[in-house]
Amino acid sequence: MEQGLTRNFCIIAHIDHGKSTLADRLIELTGTLKPEEIGKQVMDSMELERERGITIKAKAVRLHYKANDGQIYRLNLVDTPGHVDFSYEVSRTLVACEGAVLVVDATQGIQAQTLANTYLAMEHNLEIIPVINKIDLPGSEPERVLAEIESVLGYKAQDVLLLSAKTGDGVPPLLEELIRRVPPPEGDARRPLQALIFDSRYDAYKGVIAYLRVVDGRVTKEERLRLMGQSTEIDVLEVGYFAPEPSPTGELTAGDVGYIATGLKSVEECRVGDTVTSIQGGASEPLIGYHSPKPMVFAGVYPTQAEDFGELRKAIEKLSLNDASLSYEPESSSILGHGFRCGFLGLLHLDIVRERLEREFSLSLVVTVPGVGFVITRTGGKQLNVTNPDEFPEPTEIEKIEEPWVKISVITPSSFIGALMELLMQSEGSYKHTEYMGQHQSGGKLGQRVSLEYEMPLRCMLTTFYDQIKIRSRGYASLDYELIGLHEAKLVKLDVLVNEVPVDAFSRIIMPEKAHEVGKAMVAKLKEAIPRQLFKVPIQAAIGSRVVARVDISAKRKDVLAKCYGGDITRKRKLLEKQKEGKKKMKSIGRVEVPKEAFLDVLKIG
Amino acid sequence: MSYDHRETDIPRYLSALKRELARRADGENVRSIYFGGGTPSLVSAEYMADLMSVIRELFAVDEAAEITAEANPGTIEGEYLRAIRESGVNRLSLGVQSLNDRELALLGRIHTAAEAREAVRQAREAGFDNLSIDLMYGLPGQSLSDWQHSLEEAITMRPEHLSLYALTLEEETPMGKAVSEGCLNELNQDAAADQYELAEDLLAAGGYDHYEISNWAMGGRECRHNLTYWRNLAYLGVGVAAHSCLNGHRLANTASLDKYMVDSSGESAAGPELDEEISPELELVETAILGLRLSEGIDSDEIHHRFVIDILVYYQQQIEEMTRAGLLEQTGRRVKLTRRGRLLSNEVFWRFLPE
Repeated sequence: MEQGLTRNFCIIAHIDHGKSTLADRLIELTGTLKPEEIGKQVMDSMELERERGITIKAKAVRLHYKANDGQIYRLNLVDTPGHVDFSYEVSRTLVACEGAVLVVDATQGIQAQTLANTYLAMEHNLEIIPVINKIDLPGSEPERVLAEIESVLGYKAQDVLLLSAKTGDGVPPLLEELIRRVPPPEGDARRPLQALIFDSRYDAYKGVIAYLRVVDGRVTKEERLRLMGQSTEIDVLEVGYFAPEPSPTGELTAGDVGYIATGLKSVEECRVGDTVTSIQGGASEPLIGYHSPKPMVFAGVYPTQAEDFGELRKAIEKLSLNDASLSYEPESSSILGHGFRCGFLGLLHLDIVRERLEREFSLSLVVTVPGVGFVITRTGGKQLNVTNPDEFPEPTEIEKIEEPWVKISVITPSSFIGALMELLMQSEGSYKHTEYMGQHQSGGKLGQRVSLEYEMPLRCMLTTFYDQIKIRSRGYASLDYELIGLHEAKLVKLDVLVNEVPVDAFSRIIMPEKAHEVGKAMVAKLKEAIPRQLFKVPIQAAIGSRVVARVDISAKRKDVLAKCYGGDITRKRKLLEKQKEGKKKMKSIGRVEVPKEAFLDVLKIG
Repeated sequence: MSYDHRETDIPRYLSALKRELARRADGENVRSIYFGGGTPSLVSAEYMADLMSVIRELFAVDEAAEITAEANPGTIEGEYLRAIRESGVNRLSLGVQSLNDRELALLGRIHTAAEAREAVRQAREAGFDNLSIDLMYGLPGQSLSDWQHSLEEAITMRPEHLSLYALTLEEETPMGKAVSEGCLNELNQDAAADQYELAEDLLAAGGYDHYEISNWAMGGRECRHNLTYWRNLAYLGVGVAAHSCLNGHRLANTASLDKYMVDSSGESAAGPELDEEISPELELVETAILGLRLSEGIDSDEIHHRFVIDILVYYQQQIEEMTRAGLLEQTGRRVKLTRRGRLLSNEVFWRFLPE
């Protein structure tokens, strides 16, 4: 296939604006698959992805299209993950493309990820073809959205296509536009091999499958190649493209998108962003710098039943084979037993991992309240990275605490501005900027749409923040964020003590001003959850040695079987036996017997 | 156990009872008899007298045997009481439950406080000089002063014996349902504890000896029959749903009235419906747990004599733990529940169960 007849493109959009449906339609229109073969949506093959309507793993499909000029073009459609947690992955896929189809919903208009993805695509110098989707829906307002695209993104109306991915209406012209506007890949098959790994997946039979965009040179089977960043050598067990099923072929050449089967054992060994080259006469420089995506959100993951720890370990190991950004380390807690401290890219990543562990491996899990990683400078200058409140040094030993901050943009109809700004303020956000989308009135009674820009600590986004954004805007607002670095924080560790024994799993890092309020809520919850003992039990919340909230559970007074005569003895003995069994199932914290369910509730308090 | 609307079966039932007695008796020495169940007062005095004579024929009943009958106020009359007194019943246990009409209605009793007082008066007139009264505490809506009033009035009647029971809610009863549906508020644990402690104080002041967790008696008037249970000694139970403890087995008859009457009339001696073998270890455990219910507690020498085990060693860890918690105390070779321990006795007892 002549390089001039190849086009590499991706589809970018805000969640649910129709990226996957459009992909299906293109696959169908080009005859790559028959309609009945498409199934629900070809490119979201993981059940979880389909349920949550998001794409987690990127994939690539080779489409063949006979254009109006009579030539047959090879269109490589590279699918991109659509969530801010995975923006690193989005970025890498963009490097594999020359063009991007930007999909905007005809009713919802420009949303937070529309903007974020567009800016990313612009940074990568991609040719962007904006399309307005879902024009088939009764409530759609394509003219309004068109005006928005013009004013916010700067595209001219004649450059924007109107279509419906669902019905297929307006989609064929898109294929022509792709040919016309997206440039063919540059790159020379005669030059030394340079291929970018833009994704990877572990396969039980073939080892790691590396998704490649060949920039220069060629890749053939049974070659031995080198991963430049890791200096690893790999065998090319198989070379192919996606039709959308993996289809082996002889070679991939400059400008192509496809895969190689490497035989490697885990995606860790085949890092995304790395450059593949030949061993002899290979390239001297890698294509781009790469870095392992840094986990930002941490949580303790424990099995509900201690005996399942082995199962949990196996499950996390298996999951991580395919998820290089999931980090994990064993840890243990006085009440939860043995588990892992896991690092995630964000809350969505955490949710997805948790659901996969529960669903694919049938595990019942306890996950502690998620937190961010802190950089703590001790008095004396030494710095530590702390991902677990347990690792916090004593207040007297801390000179400085730094935590990650994000820049957040919230796009909302103006009638919800007040409620959202209140939330952002409460979440320690500092106001940066408001931008009005579109010069004219639109959106009816909800008001014009507005983008609010704030900066805030990532820590404050971790519990009820997302839900509150949706609740306060009746679901209309959308949100995007980006890490901007570390800021100093005045924070303290709040400990919870049961019968004067600190319980690690309950420790929280919070602002000192909130200590009393949070402490009060936690001790109150524990008082309800812990049964009365034979002695009085103090429950305290404290910062260092200073108690900020306290409640006492009074000693039990009565536990007696009043009647015990001949006929009662066996029955009463069995009641006592049950009582004894119950005690066995309890956990002991500082001489206090607590049923396990009791602390699960407390762990949920934000 | 009581059975509604089966009065016509009484004669048949009594025949079955007599047959069971005949089958199981072996002339043993009997030191106490208890007519319970059940609603013994529904059985006419003639039937009672008849039963009594059958028992005397089949067993060697002590001269001074304690013979108790249970009765509920509202179902008895002076005539009846006199008649059973004559047939040999020398102790009467009255299910008074409360001297507060609201509480009696709540409990679904058919008698009023006035009727209860009348029953006591009639019992005395019929010649009963060993009278026991049952009272209940921990009732929904029962204030400490309500309880105090019932207690004080009961004390003025000078019964020889008092049994005080905390309400236990059974789900199937109307009250149980009302509580689970939220129409009725259960009395909280602390209020019930206060009521128990008040009773201890008032009864002590009234000259009663607190000899078992739920039972008080004037000097020498402990219920001899029940002491058999708490000392874990042998007893024979006859009749529908009756329990026995004989030769290292706990036995129970069927709770089905019809089945009982058929079984006992069959030629082949039908066995008990429940038969639990009590191993020596379990017998030791039960002896300790039941014995601790008594204020006198358990004597490790007596137990050693019976089981060849020194409980101060066998239960050393539990005794230490419970002593530290303030629930048990040891004097010499005796171990007993403390005042606080009585109310929390379950905490002691489950720890004495075998592993």
